[in-house]
Amino acid sequence: MEQYLPVLTLGVLGVLFVLLSIVASRLLAPERNTLAKRSPYECGITDQVAIPERFPVKFYLVAMLFIMFDIEIVFLYPWAVANDELGLFGLVAMTIFAGIFFLSFVYELAKGGLNWGPGRRALTPVKSPERTTESTIRKVGLEGRIDAIVETDDSEAA
Amino acid sequence: MNGDPLYLDGVDLGDLGVMALKVVIAFVFLLVATMFMVWFERKLISDMQNRIGPNVAGPWGLLQTFADGVKFFFKEDLRPENADPLVFRLAPYISAVTAFLSFAVVPIGGSFGDGSSGTVTIFGRETFLQVADPPIGILLLLAMSSIAVYGVMLAGWASGSKYPLIGSVRASAQAISYEAALGMATVVVVVLAGTLSTHGIVEAQAGGITRWFVVSSGIVPFIVFLIAATAELNRPPFDLVEAEQELVGGFHTEYSSIRFALFFLAEFMNVITMSAIMVTLFFGGPAGPIFFGMTWFWPTIWFLLKVLAFLFVFVWFRATLPRLRYDQLMHLGWKVLIPLILFWLMFISLKELRAAYDWNWVATYGAALIALLAGTALLVAGLRAGDRAYEDEMEDV
Repeated sequence: MEQYLPVLTLGVLGVLFVLLSIVASRLLAPERNTLAKRSPYECGITDQVAIPERFPVKFYLVAMLFIMFDIEIVFLYPWAVANDELGLFGLVAMTIFAGIFFLSFVYELAKGGLNWGPGRRALTPVKSPERTTESTIRKVGLEGRIDAIVETDDSEAA
Repeated sequence: MNGDPLYLDGVDLGDLGVMALKVVIAFVFLLVATMFMVWFERKLISDMQNRIGPNVAGPWGLLQTFADGVKFFFKEDLRPENADPLVFRLAPYISAVTAFLSFAVVPIGGSFGDGSSGTVTIFGRETFLQVADPPIGILLLLAMSSIAVYGVMLAGWASGSKYPLIGSVRASAQAISYEAALGMATVVVVVLAGTLSTHGIVEAQAGGITRWFVVSSGIVPFIVFLIAATAELNRPPFDLVEAEQELVGGFHTEYSSIRFALFFLAEFMNVITMSAIMVTLFFGGPAGPIFFGMTWFWPTIWFLLKVLAFLFVFVWFRATLPRLRYDQLMHLGWKVLIPLILFWLMFISLKELRAAYDWNWVATYGAALIALLAGTALLVAGLRAGDRAYEDEMEDV
């Protein structure tokens, strides 16, 4: 356990550093508290929306998947240290273990559990044949050159 | 694998003195290095954006961070009235202390190979040039980087305000997504080194560049580690946690004065620690050619130069790459990095075993290829089905 003594010492030093910084700040800093300073930040206006208490379920899915992978990693470490001694047995056991994890991971992928955002279909703009550049943009300042435009339109239609 | 020889024959007062010296040096080094890191980042980004940057406080603006730090002490410490009083105060402690602790296991010097095992003699006592060498050094690092997430998470939750809350939920989802990839990239190194002690990992890389794990593991684990580390650090292009345009300041919106400074300090300290860890895991730690005489001096210089190179890379990322969208972030973390590093880990362990037990070339790599093809086919099928399922779901909404 002696090997952890310096870690502990460094931790104590770190806590002392934070504590002394905060104490020093309390001694040095002014205290002029007002209602505006106490209220939650909201771009200069009064905050009227309550903070959300619920989150998209996707975040929970990610958390659960992470716990799964974390368990896998916890088991990977002892195997990795003894990889050479365990030989083929260790490798096969680990491959089966990782394979099962991979299967469940692929299952979640296939259910769309790790897709975020609005989806590809929503991102591609809706195009109707009636809406073209010609129908939505009114060209001005083309007096005298209108023949050229008509000509290109005709050639496209043909 | 006996750990630091300093404590092997019992601990007496002299040992404690040497330990205290090392701890204090590491502590001061971290604080000063963080100060200069902030200056380095600002100055470098200024250069890349064709402006001057800090240039008033001290020569070349070197003391700018110090001036900012002093100013923070004189700023009013605000706490929103619906903040949770205890957790709001606790969060900066978690962030700052874990940032200090992660550095403890990084070996910063000592020459390895040729019969020397990285020990130096301080006041007639043999010791390693690292604060501590616990037998599970790497796990300590991972534990600290996991606990650091709590600092961010609790800070956002306890603020009682919506921007910090959204920032912290994003932060925790992002951190746990990339932690799996980070952990598995580290496992590849552990497979190669056969030990969890950071000192042992550096020792296993002694003897020339080809033995550095960045080469002998194939470059893939290093790249995965670099990307995952950038995400863990919430550095650009993965800084969705404090995306200014969307979330004001992210999890530390409600923090001001010295409490904000502590988060800031922890963030930059983590950048330095993560660079040092990458040097330790993949670039042979303090390994490098030793010129004339002073054997304790050159390894530390090499170590510092390598760390500086990584600090440059992190700043370079920030100056160059635009921020990822949230779905792109999740896509990269889960669907690219994790399957890739999972396969690579199995492959490297197979490769090691083939070398150790002298298995047949064709059979070994044939099996690996079949596994790769099967895994890729399964993954691609899963991704396609996932996209379809998701599109249908979005249609229903």
